[in-house]
Amino acid sequence: MTPLDRKLLRDLRRLWLQAVAVGVVLGCGIAIFVMATGMYGSLEVSRDQYYARSLMADLAGSLVRAPDRIAADLAAEPGVAGLEARASGVGLLSIEGVTEPVSARLVSLPAERRPRVNDLVLKRGRWPVATRSAEVLVNESFAEAHSIEPGQRLPVLIRGQRKIVEVTGIASSPEFVFAVAPGDILPEPRRFGVLWMNREVLGRALDLDGAFNDVVLRLQGDADRNAVIASLDAQLARYGGRGLYGRDRMLSARYLSDELSQLRTLASILPPIFLLVAVFLINVMLSRLVATERANIGLLKAFGYPNITIGAHYAKFALAFCLAAAVLGIVLGTYVGGYMASVYQAVYHLPELDFEAGPLVYLGAFVVALVAAVLGALAAVRRAVSLAPAVALAPPAPTSFRRLGEHLGQKLRALDARSRMLARRILRFPRRSATTVTGIALALALLIMSEHFPIAIERIISINFGTTQRMDVTLTFAEREHERVLREVARLPGVLQVEPLRTADVFLSAGSRREREAVLGISEGAMLNRIVSTDLEVIEPTAEGLTLSAGLVRKLNVRVGDDLRLEATDGRRVESQVRVVRIVQPFLGSAAYMERKALGRLLREPDRVDSAYLIIDAAFRDRLSTRLKEIPAIVGATFADNAERSLRQLFEQGAGFFAFMFLLFSLAMAAGVALSAARVTLGEQERDLATLRVLGFRRREASWVLLGELAVLLAVALPLGLILGAALSRWMMEQFETDLFSFPFVFDLPTYARSALFIVVAVVLATLWVRRDVHRLDLVGVLKSRE
Amino acid sequence: MTASRPPVFELRGLRKAYGEGAAAVRALRGIDLHIDPGELLVLLGPSGSGKSTLLNILGGLDRPTTGSVRFGELELSTATDAALTDYRRHHVGFVFQFYNLIASLTARENVELVTEVADAPMPAEEALGLVDLAERMTHFPAQLSGGEQQRVAIARAIAKRPSVLLCDEPTGALDVATGIRVLESILRINEQLGTTTLLITHNADIARLGDRVVRFADGLIRTVERNPARVPPSQLHW
Repeated sequence: MTPLDRKLLRDLRRLWLQAVAVGVVLGCGIAIFVMATGMYGSLEVSRDQYYARSLMADLAGSLVRAPDRIAADLAAEPGVAGLEARASGVGLLSIEGVTEPVSARLVSLPAERRPRVNDLVLKRGRWPVATRSAEVLVNESFAEAHSIEPGQRLPVLIRGQRKIVEVTGIASSPEFVFAVAPGDILPEPRRFGVLWMNREVLGRALDLDGAFNDVVLRLQGDADRNAVIASLDAQLARYGGRGLYGRDRMLSARYLSDELSQLRTLASILPPIFLLVAVFLINVMLSRLVATERANIGLLKAFGYPNITIGAHYAKFALAFCLAAAVLGIVLGTYVGGYMASVYQAVYHLPELDFEAGPLVYLGAFVVALVAAVLGALAAVRRAVSLAPAVALAPPAPTSFRRLGEHLGQKLRALDARSRMLARRILRFPRRSATTVTGIALALALLIMSEHFPIAIERIISINFGTTQRMDVTLTFAEREHERVLREVARLPGVLQVEPLRTADVFLSAGSRREREAVLGISEGAMLNRIVSTDLEVIEPTAEGLTLSAGLVRKLNVRVGDDLRLEATDGRRVESQVRVVRIVQPFLGSAAYMERKALGRLLREPDRVDSAYLIIDAAFRDRLSTRLKEIPAIVGATFADNAERSLRQLFEQGAGFFAFMFLLFSLAMAAGVALSAARVTLGEQERDLATLRVLGFRRREASWVLLGELAVLLAVALPLGLILGAALSRWMMEQFETDLFSFPFVFDLPTYARSALFIVVAVVLATLWVRRDVHRLDLVGVLKSRE
Repeated sequence: MTASRPPVFELRGLRKAYGEGAAAVRALRGIDLHIDPGELLVLLGPSGSGKSTLLNILGGLDRPTTGSVRFGELELSTATDAALTDYRRHHVGFVFQFYNLIASLTARENVELVTEVADAPMPAEEALGLVDLAERMTHFPAQLSGGEQQRVAIARAIAKRPSVLLCDEPTGALDVATGIRVLESILRINEQLGTTTLLITHNADIARLGDRVVRFADGLIRTVERNPARVPPSQLHW
């Protein structure tokens, strides 16, 4: 080991606290990088493998009824790799101990073979035997929610007929990673499941003997997707085809890809923030080191050490703890990633989901550390290299301070000498002061951002179930019914108020742009389900035209006053012109609205409803539930309080852990910045502080110069951090926005105050830690030494 | 000098050791000395002879291992940290070889640092006037020469009207001409304010400046000589 390397090790030991502070900040950034990038990769690989292995459909569509014989023709279409013509419907289940109605999507399984598209993964039990008519497979999350085991019998009501089926196995399918009930936008495993059953049996039960009403298919690698859609749509049109759609409109696939894009956002936004702060800290620390080692550098140069050796010596210093930070980050990131994978696995039930960051991510982590070291060390190394030996050996001139402008000078005169010292130092080293301020502000901003997510969700939930949806129960009808049905609904036990809804799955097109969307037909003066914009204004749909979400308007590239073409997707070939009358930013769910009766007229199917919202007398809840289970025309009944609970559950899975993790990371950053700033300030002021002590200033009076500087910087950083935090939260929420959710920006004073308090505590603790060194100052030693 | 007045410092059997056991360094090995009010005492000796250790103990920056050192009624060897801080604050002025000015404060502000907390200080301008720096008082240390910086340090040390002025090699980093100006300032303070002054040097010629010369070697006082007369700095050579 060369003497210089030995010196390096001793310097590291001497400056361990600062090295740790910088290392922790950088390590946290690398941990997030490893965790988010690794998780993104793992989830993507896991999903893609699952989709590939289980033959996930590229296209899907439903129709009214087509004879089985045409399925072979469809499958033979050029570009089609595999096709399943299925029977599909909704059944009502009775589950012991569950009073509210539970429904299930019923999907047919081909007899004697595995599905060619959307194959299942059998988790437990066995496949149904084709000859035994009443055997079914149940999806995993539903089975988990109700502790359903193979061998259990379940009563199912299909089109008014009660059937007892036997569960032979628990399965999962790429089609239903999330199983969402008709009319809902969120999975509720307690209330909605998937049953796969024998094709013939289900066909008979759904009145589809020798016919199918659902098609899923895979495309060949080189297939022209649009051509296949056009061709099959044309063939299915006469059978009431509702148009094929891709994975982008399959809810389950959409959830997964939304999650992936959020992970990517996380991986691309957060690590650079930590990296930036770490680079600043390294820069400050090394510059200080080079300043204190001036004489050593001069001496080394006088001895004939070349510049490159001296430069490398200081670069190695940065490299040493940056690489240590990379190792820390990788270990931490892998650990957190492993936990995250288990959270995802608990929610998604993918066949395999192991956190695996892979060599590229680990290599990336080291590259990130290397970049931080190089960028951070650059200025200091350059200074060490450019120092002329004779200059380096001479004592440094006192740091030069200049008089400030007349106005500022007057203000400073009003301060006592010690306050003047700290004010001049802050102004004299603006870049370093700015580094400290920026670091603390960014830490606060990060903390606010991480705290913002649960607040945004709480706000979504409270607005969704407080302002928007004020019904007690939502009923979904199996078919579009004439609005007369509402009178019957009103007669159900405990029903106090009924309000209809008409939804229409349509194509909206403007010029060459075409989007498939659900238009909500809401009654005039609707009270139970109101559309609320992100600024909490109730949006009244009008009869004159469509009210569209800002997101959809962007996709269609239209403005208020433009006309859109509207085509029904239910195979009725209805086309109309409709005007865009208003653009809004809805809170949750759908993207297009219109007054219900006007929508019915537009679709040439007036006075129809497909859902009803109810206000009920709570005392009749059980009786209503029991009654609803017996009505085959109703395929879904959602109690708002249950829906709220499951929405909360969905968001809370893992969210608590993340909030905690981000809290720790942000505090580590704040403490790291404060420690580093305090250490460097103390290093530079050691002589001044010793002078003050010799002049007879008491410890706490002398400490003021050190603590005061940090207090002032903290005071500047806090408002900046709050503003930055608000901006970052808002931006992050925009990044997280999906077609299904727009996350609101919420300014929650207590959260901001709490975050600021956390940061203040972290900075104060870090500063007090360093302050102990003021007490240990060797007065004589410092003052008798040349700087 | 009025021998009838009680001494400023009374030192008896003063010993100071750093470290313990065999590795202990005995910096002072038994010092007895009394220093009179208004006296200008020169401490002379080679490096490591103990003169700086003594000055630090007298200045309340360090405590003896054994022995007694009294400043008037105050026993410095047993005083608490807080009492020593107060002692320094009200009674002691320090001048070091390296001036130890606060770079972020102007000459006047460096002096005000002391006058703000002292009991009955002289105005900063007056202190700077005593060292002939009234015109440079709005300059920052970086804008002053070495000699000027040292004179600011002297002005800062005496602005509180200290009972004692302790100077540790005040000319050590200066050229002769500048050193003479600094010594003239110290002498003027001693004469005009009657401040008891201790001056460390290893330069025998400078010793002719003082009333008495205390020669140190190996942690002991070898000789104490009284100069027949103080020699003005302008007549010194080194």
